[in-house]
Amino acid sequence: MTAETEGSASTDRGGPASAGRPRAARRGPTELDFELDERLVESWAEQEPDWLAAERRAAFARWRTLPVEANRLYTTYIDLRAAALAAVRPWEAPAAAPEASAPRALPDGAAGLADLSEDRVETLALDEAARAAGVVLDTLEGFIARDEAAARRLLADDRTLPLDDRLAQLTRAGWNQGLVLRVPEGVRVDGPIILRWRAGAPDRALITRTIVELGAGASASVVEELVPSSDGLAGGRQALFSGSLEVHLERGAELAVAGIQDLAANTIAFQQRQAAIAEGATLRWALAQLGARIVRSRVDNRLEGDRSSVEQVEIVFGSDDQLFDLTSYTRHLGRDTTGNLLSKGALLDASRSYMKGLITIEKSAVGTDSFLGEFGMNLSKAARAVAIPSLEIDQPDCRRAAHSSSVGPIDETQLFYLESRGIPPDEARKFIVLGFLEPVVARVPLAAEQDRLRELLEAKWAAGTAGAVSAA
Amino acid sequence: MASTRELVQDRRDEYAFHDDIVYLAETKRGLSRDTVIEISRFKNEPEWMLAFRLRAYDHFLGRPMPEWGGDLSKIDFDKIVYYRKPSEREEKSWDDVPEKIKQTFEKLGIPEAERKFLAGVGAQYDSEVVYHSVREELTKIGVVFMGTDQALIEYPEIFRQYFGTVVPPEDNKFAALNSAVWSGGSFVYVPKGVEVPLPLQAYFRINGENTGQFERTLIVVDEGAKVHYIEGCTAPIYATDALHVAVVEVIALPGSKVRYTTIQNWSNDVYNLVTKRAHAHERARVEWIDANTGSRLTMKYPAIYLRGEGATADIISVAVAGRGQHQDTGAKAVHLAPNTRSRIVSKSVSKDGGRATYRGQLKVSPGATGVVASVRCDALMLDDISRSDTYPYIDIQEDDTTMTHEATVGKVSAEQIFYLMSRGLTENEATNLIVQGFLEVFTKELPMEYAIEFNRLVKLEMEGSLG
Repeated sequence: MTAETEGSASTDRGGPASAGRPRAARRGPTELDFELDERLVESWAEQEPDWLAAERRAAFARWRTLPVEANRLYTTYIDLRAAALAAVRPWEAPAAAPEASAPRALPDGAAGLADLSEDRVETLALDEAARAAGVVLDTLEGFIARDEAAARRLLADDRTLPLDDRLAQLTRAGWNQGLVLRVPEGVRVDGPIILRWRAGAPDRALITRTIVELGAGASASVVEELVPSSDGLAGGRQALFSGSLEVHLERGAELAVAGIQDLAANTIAFQQRQAAIAEGATLRWALAQLGARIVRSRVDNRLEGDRSSVEQVEIVFGSDDQLFDLTSYTRHLGRDTTGNLLSKGALLDASRSYMKGLITIEKSAVGTDSFLGEFGMNLSKAARAVAIPSLEIDQPDCRRAAHSSSVGPIDETQLFYLESRGIPPDEARKFIVLGFLEPVVARVPLAAEQDRLRELLEAKWAAGTAGAVSAA
Repeated sequence: MASTRELVQDRRDEYAFHDDIVYLAETKRGLSRDTVIEISRFKNEPEWMLAFRLRAYDHFLGRPMPEWGGDLSKIDFDKIVYYRKPSEREEKSWDDVPEKIKQTFEKLGIPEAERKFLAGVGAQYDSEVVYHSVREELTKIGVVFMGTDQALIEYPEIFRQYFGTVVPPEDNKFAALNSAVWSGGSFVYVPKGVEVPLPLQAYFRINGENTGQFERTLIVVDEGAKVHYIEGCTAPIYATDALHVAVVEVIALPGSKVRYTTIQNWSNDVYNLVTKRAHAHERARVEWIDANTGSRLTMKYPAIYLRGEGATADIISVAVAGRGQHQDTGAKAVHLAPNTRSRIVSKSVSKDGGRATYRGQLKVSPGATGVVASVRCDALMLDDISRSDTYPYIDIQEDDTTMTHEATVGKVSAEQIFYLMSRGLTENEATNLIVQGFLEVFTKELPMEYAIEFNRLVKLEMEGSLG
């Protein structure tokens, strides 16, 4: 394994993924062998209002012609060869959405729950207070039926799902499941709203759009869970999840989003998260990437309004031959905006992380404070950490414009300190690594969700180190 | 800042000059297979070099233009003269140098500099080394310092052993172009254990409208030896585009120490596209000290491949981008062996609509255990019509690497200016002082007369109004 260097993942590296099937022709690292069937897209478009059909068709045309990576800066750091999606087909149509169900389905402390499994809506529930305040949690199908004007404004917005991004256009052309969460002006939702997607059925693509809109002065928190569906993993055949989270924050709104991605090892995940942040509004991302075979994620933060701010904390905990390909773009447009971005990766086995972050400070963005930090810990000789923290600056009149990055082994002095307190070496190493990843755990808004994330991290540590011991 | 901007104007053209030289031989404009063969025949080269040139030419034709970096679309390869020979032979002494060329050198201050400090001079006038003098003692201790063309004839074995091994023609499109049409440049060989006591210096100039400069420098430093090589450039200004495509190869054998210092000040119409790379073997130390103030577009990323255990790399890269300029510069450290260290420091200044880009790579390959590396990039922007970009690539494939990277972008603070003005400085002087201080990490590495020259250059850039 250590002998492999550049783009070590090959299509059939996973073994079971290709067993018993004809071997695909060798593909380049930027080639994707997923076909979105035009007839299927047409069959949806025919049932939809004209504006939505036009929107889908335009996106489909772009999906067909765009490169997977449109940004020249990053074309050498992309590797989709382990994705074997030739046999993967989208779900034909979503099952009928139920009316919002009774609040009894809600976990403790949560104000709402949308639980979707593959093509089925399992639960759609809001607590009484939120419902009374006018909060909407609905499927996109329901949203279009009940409030077409608002649906059109939010879905046919060209600023969300970037037009030059091929995978964003895949989501835009191929979605047939979706959610909307709208919080009216001035409403503060106390408990978090959980949006749960279960994906990973072999040979199936779950393609979704999720819209979150907060009116002026509103506040809410969202936990987005990406978990394996019960159908998962049969025969090791791959599945695709491609989904968006499109955030619109009006003046003074506050939103916290915790994303926990723990999909199964047969799943290829494409994620697009876009946020438009108006004057005085605040967005906080806490994102944990643990699962899937390949994750290719993109976050776009547009700080449009004066004094808007974004905080983004992301952790990666990789093992086996996982690849985490994470890009984040933060554009400062308004005056006195703040961006604070932190990415941390701990890599076991032959896992890889490509962390690409670009901060753009436009000429209009006087008084910007922007920081980007990318930190890595390689826990195995076969692991590979790539960091590309970039800055493009047209306005020097900033409070701060900086990035920093470091990669290092487990700190020996920390280890020594913990051991001197009687903690066994293995336990001490675990403390240090999980402590390194703690910033995201601490930001998850629900205690039960925090516990779940800690358990996932510990289980992954246990599995990863067991593997390392047996390999040694 | 507005007042500073109004006061700053580019006056470098006053220091550029052009002499009419009769060229004794030159190729037709444009590049063809015949041009390449003609150059090789002019020089009476051995067959292997012609084969090398043709292999490079074929690669150049097939290789697409890079789509990243700066705007290369205005380069017209058909308008360039690829080879010019201003005199028939290498001149042995100052007296033999043609009067016209001598006047040019005098404007550059070479004779005086030589008297004072120079250990040897290899001055390139257009595409050929015409003047060369190596001090007696250097010859005595076995140091070879001569034109690259001459070295191909006089030291064929060592030349062939190393030429093209650090930068093969297939490395990039411009390395291929240089490999096909190269002429001139310096060759340095320092024998085992020899420390060259004074810096070796070469002056480069472009002359002649649309003349390309395709020099090729090869520096081989044997075990335990030590050398400091300095190149500086000036160029006259022309309306149409000039092209400078150089390749520099440095081989630092075990335990050696090499420093390569560049002050690049091409005129603002020059495309400066240079591949500089060093191989550092066991316990060797290589330093690139690189400043770019001129040219229309510079794309240059001095690289060090740390091939031997315990090798050290140190790169200081400085860029000043003014009106109409794009400095796309940076550094590259590739760790291939255990216990190697690298340090990259980059400082850029952009002003008057100029664009300064740092583009760098730090790579730790599997097997390179115990690496310690750091990258630091600072950018200073003097107005809000300029632009600053930072693109560092960090790729770590070992589990015990210690790597840190920091980057900041900012402006000259009003408080600093105010403080200095309260001490009696004008706003221009204050800004100049702050910029010089910002670049000091570079300046303090220069020999004294170069440091003075560089500060004067920065001052000219900053304070067009003073005089």
